[in-house]
Amino acid sequence: MKDKCRIGVYICNCGTNIARVVDCEQVCQEVGTLPGVAVARAYKYMCSNPGQEMIIHDIKEQMLDRVVVAACSPRMHEPTFRKALEASGLNPFMLEMANIREQCSWVHDDPQSATRKAIDLTHAAIRRVQLHEPLEKQEAPYTPTTLVLGGGIAGLTVAMELAEAGQQVILVEREDRLGGNVGRVDLTAPYLDSARDILTEKIVRAEASPRVEVLLNTRLTELKGFVGNFTATVEDDTGLAGDRAVGGVVVCTGYRPFDAGRIGSLGYGRLPDVITSFELEQQLRTGKLKTRDGKTPRYVSIVHCVGSRNARYHTYCSRVCCMTALKYGHEIKSAIPEAMITDVYVDMLSFGKGGEDLYRRTSELKTMFLMYEKEDYPKVRSAEPEDDCGMLLQVREKLSGVTIDVPADMIVLMVGMEARHDGDEVARVVGISQDAEGWFIESHPKLAPVSTPTDGVFIAGACQSPKDIPDTVAQARAASAMILAYIAQGKVEVDARFAEVDEDRCSGCRMCNELCPYTAIIYDDETGRSAVQSALCKACGTCVAACPSGAIKARHFTDEQIIEQIEGVLAWGSNQPS
Amino acid sequence: MGFEPTIVGFLCNWCSYTGADLAGTARIKHRPNLRVIRVMCSGRVDPTFVVKAFASGADGVLICGCHPGDCHYLEGNYKTLRRFELLKRLMLAYGIDERRLRLDWVSASEGERFARLVDEMTEKIQPLGPFELGPAFQNGTDLGLVEGITPTPEVSHG
Amino acid sequence: MADPKLQVALYWGAACGGCDVAVLDTDEFILTVAEVADIRFWPIAVDGKYADLEAMDDGELDLTLFNGAIRNSENQYVAELLRRKSKVMVAFGSCAHLGGIPGLANDASREEIFHRAYLDNPSLEEGNVTLPVTEKKVASCTLEIPRFYRRVHKLADVVAVDYFVPGCPPAPTQVKAVLLAVVQGALPPIGSVVGAGERTLCDECERRKEEKKVKRFQRPWQTIQDPDRCLLEQGIICAGSVTRSGCGVRCPDSGMPCRGCYGPAPNVHDQGAKMISAVASIVDSRDPDEIATIIGEIPDVMGFAYRFGLPASTLQQSVRSL
Repeated sequence: MKDKCRIGVYICNCGTNIARVVDCEQVCQEVGTLPGVAVARAYKYMCSNPGQEMIIHDIKEQMLDRVVVAACSPRMHEPTFRKALEASGLNPFMLEMANIREQCSWVHDDPQSATRKAIDLTHAAIRRVQLHEPLEKQEAPYTPTTLVLGGGIAGLTVAMELAEAGQQVILVEREDRLGGNVGRVDLTAPYLDSARDILTEKIVRAEASPRVEVLLNTRLTELKGFVGNFTATVEDDTGLAGDRAVGGVVVCTGYRPFDAGRIGSLGYGRLPDVITSFELEQQLRTGKLKTRDGKTPRYVSIVHCVGSRNARYHTYCSRVCCMTALKYGHEIKSAIPEAMITDVYVDMLSFGKGGEDLYRRTSELKTMFLMYEKEDYPKVRSAEPEDDCGMLLQVREKLSGVTIDVPADMIVLMVGMEARHDGDEVARVVGISQDAEGWFIESHPKLAPVSTPTDGVFIAGACQSPKDIPDTVAQARAASAMILAYIAQGKVEVDARFAEVDEDRCSGCRMCNELCPYTAIIYDDETGRSAVQSALCKACGTCVAACPSGAIKARHFTDEQIIEQIEGVLAWGSNQPS
Repeated sequence: MGFEPTIVGFLCNWCSYTGADLAGTARIKHRPNLRVIRVMCSGRVDPTFVVKAFASGADGVLICGCHPGDCHYLEGNYKTLRRFELLKRLMLAYGIDERRLRLDWVSASEGERFARLVDEMTEKIQPLGPFELGPAFQNGTDLGLVEGITPTPEVSHG
Repeated sequence: MADPKLQVALYWGAACGGCDVAVLDTDEFILTVAEVADIRFWPIAVDGKYADLEAMDDGELDLTLFNGAIRNSENQYVAELLRRKSKVMVAFGSCAHLGGIPGLANDASREEIFHRAYLDNPSLEEGNVTLPVTEKKVASCTLEIPRFYRRVHKLADVVAVDYFVPGCPPAPTQVKAVLLAVVQGALPPIGSVVGAGERTLCDECERRKEEKKVKRFQRPWQTIQDPDRCLLEQGIICAGSVTRSGCGVRCPDSGMPCRGCYGPAPNVHDQGAKMISAVASIVDSRDPDEIATIIGEIPDVMGFAYRFGLPASTLQQSVRSL
C-alpha cells in the first residue's frame, strides 16, 4: 500500500510570509526524495487559482492519489484544498496539510531551525497521508415533527412559529396547564402589559391548532436516535407511555424561583407578611393587596437580589428582578395610592428598551430607594406595639453607612431564578450539559445561543440562563428558525469522521458506553457487542484511546496515522548521532 | 552548540491548536523545538502515543487541551486528566524525569500563554539532555543487539 | 512405512517450571503426544546434556517449545542452539513471549539485584557473605557459571521466533490445541500468536457488565465482592479488558482479578499503555485532587501495567533505551 502511493507535495511560500524564514526550496528538495513522493513543488501562493490549478493538473498528469500541502494552518485553507481534490476527482480526505506558517514561519526567527521544523512537519504529513482512506459524506433524512419540551412562553412561541409555518409540533408540558411562570404574573415590565393577554392568546391558538398536539401532565422519559431521527418516549401521570418520531427537540423548561426560606434573616416563613414576588403577583391579579390579617398595608418594602449575586447561593444576577421590582412600585401605588414604598436594592439594573424610563417613572412615584451592600442582607423582625407598623426591616444603608430601621407592613422578596430541580434529569434524557449553576449549556454564548453541542436539540428561554420575556421570545423564534432550516433541507449531513467499532474485535467490556459524552455508543445485550451510532458520533476519539481491545477505529485519526506522524516528526532527529 | 530538545505536542483542534495558531497571527515568537500533532480532542491521546513518542526520539511530550469545563466535546479533557495521572506515575516508575511530560490547558484565545508554555518547557528540558530512562533501565546490552541479532519485526511483537 | 515421529524439544530459560507442568497437566493427552513424537530434550522430565543438542543436525528438531525469559548467557546460548537445531521455534508462556514476571527485575539494576540477593536481606547470616563470580579456578579446572545479564529479554529479542503461546502458564486446553495443531500440520502464518482467542477476556467472562464508573480502587481483600458483577466495576483492578482471551477466564471465575498474563489484544501494541488508558478513563471524578487521590490508591504502577510484559514494552524495546 505504502509503496504504491503517489503523493503530490506542495510547499507554499505564501508570498514572503513563509519564504522569509523557511527555505521552501530546501524543504522541497529534502521531502522530494521520500518514498511515495511523486512530485514536490514550491510555489508562491498555493491557495490562489494558479496554485490550485497546479494541484489539479498534477493529479491528472502525474496520477497522484494523495496530496500534502505545507502552508498556512489547516483551519484556514483545508476546505480550499479539499475542494481542489474534489474538482480533480480525488476524494477530499486524501489530503494532509502541514502548518508551516502560523506555527512556524510566523513565530520563529532563525531560518535554520524554522526550516528544520518545516521539513519535519512536512515529512510527518507525507507519512500520515499514506494511510488516509477515502471517506464518503453520509446523509440521513429529517423528520419534520418537532418535540417542544415545556409549555411556557418559550415553548408556546416555538410551537406557534412552527405550526404557522405548516409543521407538526408535539408540545409536552409537565403540569396540568400551559403558561409556565408567566402564567403566574399579573403585569409585565416595563410597559405594564397584561401577562394574561400575552399568554392567553398563545395558549388559545396552540390548543386550537390542528398541527400542535398538546400533552399535559406529561414528561419526556427517553430520547433515542440522532438529529432528524429521534424516538421520543413520553409518559403521562397515569403511567401511560408512547413513542413518537421527531426530527428535533426544543427544550423550554424554564426556571424555578429561589427558595427565600434559605435566608433566615429575611424572615420568610417566620413572619407571615414577608412574601415572595410570585406571591405578590397572586395578590395583584386579584386586585386586592392585604396583609395576612386582612389589613391594607401602608408601608411596603421590596428587597432585591434575594438569592442572586451572592457567593453563598447564586453568584449570577437573575436579570429580571430589578425591573419587576420597579413594576411593583407602580402596581402597589395603583392599588394603594397612599402606600409608602421602600425599594431596598444593591444595584439598579434597569436596562434595555424602556428600562431607564421605568426607573425614572418609578422614582417619580416617591419611592424611597435604599442601597445595601451585596450579601449584607437586611434583617427583618416583628415591630413593637409602639411602632406604627407590622415589621421592621433593618438595613445598613451603603452610601451613608448608617443602619436604618425601615417600617414595613408587607415585605416583598425579589427571589432570583434558579435552574429547575429536574434539570439534570432533562439534561440526561436529551443529551445536553448543565453549567455549574444548572443552566443548560449552549454551543456558543454569543454566536450560537440556542443550539447545543447535541445536533437537533435546542434550548430556548430561561432554561439557558435567567432572562426576560423579550429575550425568551427572541430565542424561541431563533430556535424555530433553526428547526425550519433543517426541515427545509429535508436531510442532515453526518460527519464522515465518526468512530467505528470492529465487531470482530469488540469484547463487550462496555468501557466505551459511559465514556461517550453523546451516548453515541450503544451496547447490544444479545450480541454482547457495542456499536457506534455514526450520526451521533462527533469524532472526538476518546473512546478510541480508551478501548482496551483496540476495537474502535477513529476514521481519519487512526492510531496508525498518528503513529506515522509521530515517527515522521522525529525521523530526522533520531538519525542524528547523539 | 547547546542541546536542542525535540518536543512532540498533541494539541486539540478546538482550543489549543487554535491558541497556537493565534500565537502565529499575533507573531508571538517562541522556541522552535515543538512538533505539533493535531488531534480533535485531547481525549484522543492514548498513552501509547506518549510512550511511542519517547521511544521514537522525543525528548519531551506535551499534551494540550481545553480548560476543564470548556471541552468542545464536553468531557474529553477530564479523561485526559485522569489518564495523565496514571501516565505520570508510570513515567516515574521508568525513571523518566517528570519535566519531560506535561499536560496543560490552552484556550483558543491564549496565544501568548501558548508561546510561553513552549519556551518554558524547552528551557526545563534543555539541561536534562536527550531522553533517557532511569539509571536502573540504562543497562546497555549484553546481547550484541546492536551488532548482531536483529529478529524480524513481525515476529518480535507477538 | 510409518510417518517418522515428530522430533520435539522443551526447554526452560529464566523460568519457574509452571509451563512444563502445564504440558504435563494435559493429563492423558501427553500419552498421545508420546505416540506421535520423540521428546529429544526436556530437562524437567528427562536426562540430557547440551552436547546432545550440539550433536544434532541443524533443523533436526521439528519443534522446540521454549519457556522462560532470557536472563543470563546460558539462556541465550541454549536459545540460539535450539533455534539452529529446530525447524519451528515456539515462545511458550509469558516469559518467553513477553518477558514475564522475571521481566519486572528490569526496573532494578544488576548491582541492586545482587546487593539485595547476596548482601542485604533478612535471611543472610551475619558475616557469611558470598558473592558469585562467573569464573573460578579450583584445583584442576576453571568453573564457570553463566553471566547474569543486566536486563531480562524476551525470547524474540535473541532469536527469530515462529509462534507465540501466551499465558502464565498457557491453559492446558490451549496447550493441547497447540500440540494438536502441530501434529496435524495445521499452523497459521509464521509470527502468529497461537493457543489464544482473538478478543479480550471480557468476551469470555460471564460476569455482568453494567456501568464502568469507579470512585475508589480496591484490593480484592478490601471488599466483599459480588461474584456475578464485573470486578473492575467493583473497583477491583482487573486486567481482563486489556488481556487476550483464550485462558478460560479461570482467575475471575475464582474471584481473583485477571493480571494480564495472556498479553495484549491482537492489534494493541503496548498492553501497559492501554491498561493505563482504560483504567484511568473510568475514574468517576472531574476534580483534579480527587482524581489524584483515586489514582494514588493504585500501589505499584509498573507492576499493574506491565506485570508480564515489561521487556516487551515500547520503551524497553526502543533502541534509545540501550
